[in-house]
Amino acid sequence: MDSSTPFAHASEAEMARILDFYAVRWSYEPETFPILWNLDGDVVESFSPDFYLPDLDLYLEMTTLRQKLVRKKNRKLRRLRELYPGINIKLFYERDFRALMLKYGKVALADGLSGTLGQVAAPYGDPAPTAAIRATDETDTPADADTDDIPAATVSTATTSAARRRNRRLARAAAGAP
Amino acid sequence: MTRAPDLHADVGEILLTEEQIATRVAELGRRISEDYAGRPVTLVSVLKGSLPFMADLMRAIDLPLRIDLMEVSSYGGGATESSGLVRILKDLSATIEREDVLIVEDIIDTGLTLNYLVRYLRGKNPATLRICTLLDKPARRLVEIPVDYIGFTIPDQFVVGYGLDYGELYRNLRFVGVLKPEVYAGPAEAEAAGV
Repeated sequence: MDSSTPFAHASEAEMARILDFYAVRWSYEPETFPILWNLDGDVVESFSPDFYLPDLDLYLEMTTLRQKLVRKKNRKLRRLRELYPGINIKLFYERDFRALMLKYGKVALADGLSGTLGQVAAPYGDPAPTAAIRATDETDTPADADTDDIPAATVSTATTSAARRRNRRLARAAAGAP
Repeated sequence: MTRAPDLHADVGEILLTEEQIATRVAELGRRISEDYAGRPVTLVSVLKGSLPFMADLMRAIDLPLRIDLMEVSSYGGGATESSGLVRILKDLSATIEREDVLIVEDIIDTGLTLNYLVRYLRGKNPATLRICTLLDKPARRLVEIPVDYIGFTIPDQFVVGYGLDYGELYRNLRFVGVLKPEVYAGPAEAEAAGV
């Protein structure tokens, strides 16, 4: 797998390592689905699932925000399913990620990879930055934020780069919007 | 100082009693015996968690059967992790080509391990390949795999006992129980559990 994949979130890098371990092929944010247009036909909202697993024909979206903060993500997912009923997508919540880390004996790691702290994006090949991150309390702000919506001021270089790529895809999608 | 585990006190709730497990294993054994209808079957158990289930299930099946054991590395499992790939730590001891094979699992949650195992065993050309699991935790499923025999569908909780472990402990409990969050608590679990 490509070790230079610019993951927007450390939990995504960890998930990629898990998928690699179990020989499940994946691609990172391969598609952006427009989910809302304005009256001029311009895309005003879109959804880019984090992973596509081609052998399973499954999109996987990860959110490591606290459960109470995932309302917006759930709404976008409902909209996506309405507009694209043929796609198979699963939302992986923070509790799912924690359970996965617990299963693999890495529960301490989950604290450093969850929520806003996890946006210190780790390169794919590097271990997640746990010790330094755990020294700081997890913050729930910005509320309702996810990696699709995170304000630019809080993102790392890698995340900004991912956002730029997303914006370029959005622009392309807008050109072909209904 | 490291806290010494108290096997019974660390379990917050008994999810499945010894009696419930025994009754269900007997039912599964009868169903499997009927479905294979006298054909020999090879049970393939995946170490280590499924050992108690395998031991009980094989005695509940009234068929000529062989057993075999496999062990695969788990993600996060120390030295094996550095390879970046799952490893077969113990392979089958005999061929399964043209055999009727039944995989015996303790629990299916994400399906990642089972998905790998099914692909691996299919490559050995068994006549049939079916799956039997004591516990199914569908809330955690990433990879959908058709499961032929399910003992119990359980809620999204961390369970131990009857072969299932946490940190290699609790396997010898005769029941399946929910581990108290404070046993494995990170900050979030501790907060949720009020510890």
